[in-house]
Amino acid sequence: MSNLVDQITAGLKTWARVNSPWVIHFNSGSCNGCDIEILATLTPRYDLERFGVKLQGSPRHADVLVCTGPVTRQARERLIRIYEQMPEPKFVVAVGSCAVSGGVFEGCYNVMGGIDRVIPVHAFIPGCPPRPEAIIDGVVKLLSSLQSPAPVQPIMGPDGGKA
Amino acid sequence: MTTQERLQQAAELLAPWTKSTATPEDVRLDVVIDAADLGAAVAALHGARWGYLTAITGLDDGPDAGGLQALYHFIGGAAVVTLRVSLPYDNPTVPSVCGVLASASFFERELAEMFGVTVVDTPNPDRLFLPEDWPDGAYPLRKDYTDVPAPQAD
Amino acid sequence: MTQPIEKIETPKGERFIIPIGPQHPALKEPGHFEFTVDGETVKDATVRLGYVHRGIEKATESRNYIQNLYLLERICGICSHTHAMTYSLGVEKLAGVEAPPRAQAIRVIVAELERIHSHMLWLGVAAHEAGFDTLFMYSWRDRETVMDLLELLSGNRVNYSANVLGGVKFDITPEQAGDVLKGLDFLEGRNRHYLDVVSNDALLLGRIRGVGVMTQADAERLGAIGPTARASGVALDVRIDAPYIAYKDFQPALITETAGDLEARFKVRVREIEESIRLIRLLLEHLPEGELVARMPRRIPAGEAISRVEAPRGEAFYFIKSNGTDTPARVKVRTPTIFNMATVLSLAKGLQLADMPMILVGIDPCFSCNDRMVTVREAERAETWTWNELREHGIKVYQR
Repeated sequence: MSNLVDQITAGLKTWARVNSPWVIHFNSGSCNGCDIEILATLTPRYDLERFGVKLQGSPRHADVLVCTGPVTRQARERLIRIYEQMPEPKFVVAVGSCAVSGGVFEGCYNVMGGIDRVIPVHAFIPGCPPRPEAIIDGVVKLLSSLQSPAPVQPIMGPDGGKA
Repeated sequence: MTTQERLQQAAELLAPWTKSTATPEDVRLDVVIDAADLGAAVAALHGARWGYLTAITGLDDGPDAGGLQALYHFIGGAAVVTLRVSLPYDNPTVPSVCGVLASASFFERELAEMFGVTVVDTPNPDRLFLPEDWPDGAYPLRKDYTDVPAPQAD
Repeated sequence: MTQPIEKIETPKGERFIIPIGPQHPALKEPGHFEFTVDGETVKDATVRLGYVHRGIEKATESRNYIQNLYLLERICGICSHTHAMTYSLGVEKLAGVEAPPRAQAIRVIVAELERIHSHMLWLGVAAHEAGFDTLFMYSWRDRETVMDLLELLSGNRVNYSANVLGGVKFDITPEQAGDVLKGLDFLEGRNRHYLDVVSNDALLLGRIRGVGVMTQADAERLGAIGPTARASGVALDVRIDAPYIAYKDFQPALITETAGDLEARFKVRVREIEESIRLIRLLLEHLPEGELVARMPRRIPAGEAISRVEAPRGEAFYFIKSNGTDTPARVKVRTPTIFNMATVLSLAKGLQLADMPMILVGIDPCFSCNDRMVTVREAERAETWTWNELREHGIKVYQR
């Protein structure tokens, strides 16, 4: 009986999460290009909110962490803290070439590399910057995989977070 | 006032402390002065309301060439006047110009953390860009700087 | 939200540093401001940057001149063209090469389109800080038109990659010019509406008229530049003071206001959009014929060059030193925000905490250019605020 209840509540939660994901955005060293395009997805032409996506400020209320930029030394701890403050289950999307791999800033003395060097990432959206459509597509792909029998698994970078 | 007149005026204002001058472009004037005279030279430009301080560039040409330098760029219209100060690698020190130009504070903080130049009497000696855990004595824009080890995972 | 509250001892007794931010949906970037407050009045303000500091100046010294063009274009995603152009101008000076007239005109057209996009972006963000989300949505909807024009010309919405050393990468065909003119007609109409809103909307004026006044003397003393300075009546515009490339032949009008308050900063930017539209039309009409690129040497002759460009936020300043190789010996980048940041910190003292979000946004701060997190210090009371809460505090105070 309790098994069935668990199953139903889990199903309900997934349904709610997929239909209205709450998103938090963090810039860990980005040039602003991706950040503007993320903001553009919320404005009238793209209007993500009509699909139930809500961008809000507190990590404690967020399902999806959208990261932009390479991780700078100073932003690293902030990024980890925000990730840790998010309730389970949580999903991380790396937006833009820098968040994916460090991009053009790879090798700079204050840059540690892509987001996956610091926290596990579920979806990578390349582009410099990716178009708003690409960002929406990435988030939709992540969410629709949650309804499938094999949802996406997070990937940790080559150094396993030791970077 | 034309650009040439402006440059002429700046040259006259700075004459008491000038060691040598150069004009790398026709709108520019480079004036080499001693670090000790920096306060007086900046005050002279400021007193005559000659332009504004647009940037302080730190420069490390390596010990074999020009060595460590600090460049104070002033702009009046199209004219650019650069005060050039040579600094020793061993304990490089410049006086703060914030007493005359309050807006120089950020530039001086940057010069200090990036080149290891001690700015005497600067109102806020804290770091501006580098992280708190950045090791002392590592100055990223010096030529001999290589890299600092990455922080370890928690 | 529970975040650690750090206690510090001061001569007056206990005070609290309350960390706020650094993430916020509409403000794209982290930085750390610290306000010491007495009740509602700000007593002191300091800033700590570096959350977006990547070490670009050092990186330029290990990449060649062409690679650096791509790196420097990514200093800032809002004024990407400005950075690439200022750098190109400096390197061209060192090499003794001048871009062909058609390339110069195309650089200016892209720069002015970028100014329109940047100012409209700012208008939306500033309106959001004031709690005026309708204006935010409208200006961002209309801004998509400029983004379309930039994409039409360059193929990308943000990093246009218009510059190559010695010229530009793409031409503007007559068909494209026609499409740009159509887009500008639409923007001109919308911009007239925005000028009306920022001059006459009673609710918005309640938050911007007479707020954060910086007199002309203050602006000069504190070293304000760009639209922030021009809103205080300071005649400062690199495009006019030291014309570069096509601005020599196509001069923009100097746009100033005298009030020096937030309203003036709104008006200056909206009127600058109008001026940019005029300039682009003029340039498209008189687009010179000819080559797009002048030949550049791979090794740049030794020397030092200074290049200055009027970015949407004020003067961008580059100092480039070459030692005769294919890699620069030093690239110094001084961006406009660091200048205006100093003015805003001096300006904050004695003002209301509720006005802080608007005053900070008033200078159009760009942290990625330099490198928002907010800390409120308050005697005998500890509250944890997010930037969002600070913004809402401002909105509530004005609802009373």
